[in-house]
Amino acid sequence: MTAYIARRLAMTIPVLFGILFVTFLMKALIPTDAVLALYSGTVSEDKAAEAIAAIRAKYDLDKPWYHQFVLYVGDVARGDLGESVRTRQPVIDEIGYRYVNTMILTLASLVVALIVGLSTGIASAYWKGTWIDEVAMGIGLLGISMPAFFFGLILIFFFSVQLRWLPVMNAGDWKGLILPALTLGLIEAAPISRITRASMIEVLSQDYVKAIRAKGLPESHVVFRHALPNALLSILTILGLLIGGLLGGAFIIEVVFGWRGIGELAVKAIGWRDFTITQAIILVSATTYVMINLVIDILYAWADPRIKLG
Amino acid sequence: MRRFVRPILMVPVFVAGITAALPAMAQTVNLRLGEDPESLYNVQTNSLTANGVINYVLERLVYIDQSGTPQPWLSSGWTVSDDQTQITFTLREGLTFTDGTPFDPAAVVAHFNTVLDPAVASPQLATQGPLTSVEATGPMTVVFTYSEPFAPAFNALSGVGAGINSPTAVAAAGSDYARMPVGTGAFIVEQWIPGTSITLVRNDDFHEQFRSDIQNPGPAHVERIVLNVITEEGVAQAALETGELSAAALQADAIAQFVDNPDFQTIINKSSGNLTFLEFNQQTAPFDDARVRMAIGHAIDRDAAVMAAWDGYAQAAFGPLSAAIPGYDQAVVDELGTPYDPEKALALFAEAGWTDSDGDGILDKDGAAASFTILSYAGFTSIDRTLQVIQANLADIGVPVDLQTSDWGAFYPSLLEDGWDMDLMRWTWDDADVLNQIYAGDGHRDKLTPNADIDNILNRCSTTMEPAARLSCVSDAQRALLENMTAVPILTNWEVVAVQSNISGYGFDHAGYLLATDIKVE
Repeated sequence: MTAYIARRLAMTIPVLFGILFVTFLMKALIPTDAVLALYSGTVSEDKAAEAIAAIRAKYDLDKPWYHQFVLYVGDVARGDLGESVRTRQPVIDEIGYRYVNTMILTLASLVVALIVGLSTGIASAYWKGTWIDEVAMGIGLLGISMPAFFFGLILIFFFSVQLRWLPVMNAGDWKGLILPALTLGLIEAAPISRITRASMIEVLSQDYVKAIRAKGLPESHVVFRHALPNALLSILTILGLLIGGLLGGAFIIEVVFGWRGIGELAVKAIGWRDFTITQAIILVSATTYVMINLVIDILYAWADPRIKLG
Repeated sequence: MRRFVRPILMVPVFVAGITAALPAMAQTVNLRLGEDPESLYNVQTNSLTANGVINYVLERLVYIDQSGTPQPWLSSGWTVSDDQTQITFTLREGLTFTDGTPFDPAAVVAHFNTVLDPAVASPQLATQGPLTSVEATGPMTVVFTYSEPFAPAFNALSGVGAGINSPTAVAAAGSDYARMPVGTGAFIVEQWIPGTSITLVRNDDFHEQFRSDIQNPGPAHVERIVLNVITEEGVAQAALETGELSAAALQADAIAQFVDNPDFQTIINKSSGNLTFLEFNQQTAPFDDARVRMAIGHAIDRDAAVMAAWDGYAQAAFGPLSAAIPGYDQAVVDELGTPYDPEKALALFAEAGWTDSDGDGILDKDGAAASFTILSYAGFTSIDRTLQVIQANLADIGVPVDLQTSDWGAFYPSLLEDGWDMDLMRWTWDDADVLNQIYAGDGHRDKLTPNADIDNILNRCSTTMEPAARLSCVSDAQRALLENMTAVPILTNWEVVAVQSNISGYGFDHAGYLLATDIKVE
């Protein structure tokens, strides 16, 4: 197991290197940079040419992209993510607390998604073909089809403007977490619900379930103690993908709700062409995604003794 | 790796800070910031967002009053040398920064020396024009020296970038100064939660008010101003409705909803200096021909654009300056402007050789049918709708145009390249020097045909310090630019702000900044 983990960790290095390389290629194809974005639109850019050149030189933006890439990889290897051209502050100061906020939002959304997805999935499987099944699956379909952006604004209108239960402006506290976590969680609950339903239906029809039912065990015992743990394995398989979806979804949701995460910053940084921030966010997100998948693989082996890592 | 750890450990502190800092609502005004400013150190930024925040904290040597005339602020007066290349300011005595250190010539010199230092690469450097040095010449006098007379000097010195920081605070805070500027102003930065809000607290020791455009003679009426970062328009509007925001500027679509709502008053600032205008790539035919540019001018129905883009909260523009800028000459605009007249547009196109020779409804010349592109920036409904009106108007006279919009960061650099015909642009500025910035020489993107007559006039305007002579020069510049139809003016929009009805004294200065010390919460 230790050797497996070490090998998987070692494999993340070429993955991250590749991601960085592609990011730099994209950057090279974009015909502008943060310095120009800062100055463009101040009508006197002719007079500003000297300052533009000085800032470009300071941040190595006057060098070819492959040279910048080499310098950047060297800096990252030393744990230095660079300085934002726009704010002139270390990137780590810009994204550190935001990374934690994104993780909080992702976890909260995952909890919502699991609670809603599992309970509706189990209910629809248990009462398969009844109105409960129809309603639960209908809501699931709505969740899959609804754009996060639109759903978020609807929730703001309903809970904040109409009912006045929650503030519109996000102070970054637990109250500000509720609506974005609900939006993201309810949308991601849909696939969990459908997969739970399918695997529960399969498990509930197996012989061992019939056997324990025949023994006269209570239904709650049959469903939660015997059928559910087996059905959960398939949820665990897609958990990595789901968390990836949550991390990606957070980018949009953070903008709508003003949740100060890395997604909200990434969207802005792309507009500012502040590539030092964009690169750092891509790097941090990719690392997180790779690590989460590693943890899930290990969990999978632990949950199902038939699977061997190696 | 230690750098990774620090910000993460700080999070509980942030969260605790947010909860502890929930201000007493009574004397707090909640306003909106569209995005986090990049820095609050005016040497490091020149963005509208940052300037709007820094303006609460830093004061300048001069301000521009509502009539557009420079007036003393932190200075008590000035003299201009005979050759007009030196301005000597006398500073007011007895003022202190909010960190307790004295406001003196050393502070003024320190600020401008930092701006002038090429190694600092300050975005403010360009705004100070030919300023070469700033020196203290007496206990309370400072001399600004320019390499040539600089007419917009007072305007430049009234800008937020010329706000005086406490040099002691700058030195003590290092790079953290960008998060907590210290000035002599009516407000002090109390807290900046990045990406969430900036809280300004009243400076209770504020000196007497030296500005005549502000009613309140002393410290601000309100205790706190919280500037909340809200990116989304829809969210800002919802926050206004729930009362979480005390006031916010409205997008055209939202105005109707607030105008008749008794919980709000709408304040319309008609004196903002801005212009939406159509520019040409004069390096390519047929836009190298002034008749074609004039034809386009006559083809566009500005009133339709005002209604479509701004719901009527804008003014049709026919001159290269917006009407609120000192020096705007209505007589020249009336004489040389290009009002909506499709017949005249067609006649001018015909003069330039463009007619519908094959009867297909599209103008052509030498066998080539008209087909042009207009570039602009995405994300603004008002720009999209103005473009659509222009497209429809031009189609009406047989000139099909293709609209291409992209985000600002992609759009603006594309103008430096070839391969486009027209672009729709907008500037905001509060001084006639904007003409110089855009149109002098081959223009700010090298896409104008240099015109010696226009250059001479603009150069004269830029170096004429005497106010009456300068205004006369600005009038000449408008005449020359309209005769050449260097760009087609479309409209000047008004700023419409919805303010909760329990708030009074909400108003703006000449540059469009909020006069915050006058605000009262009932």
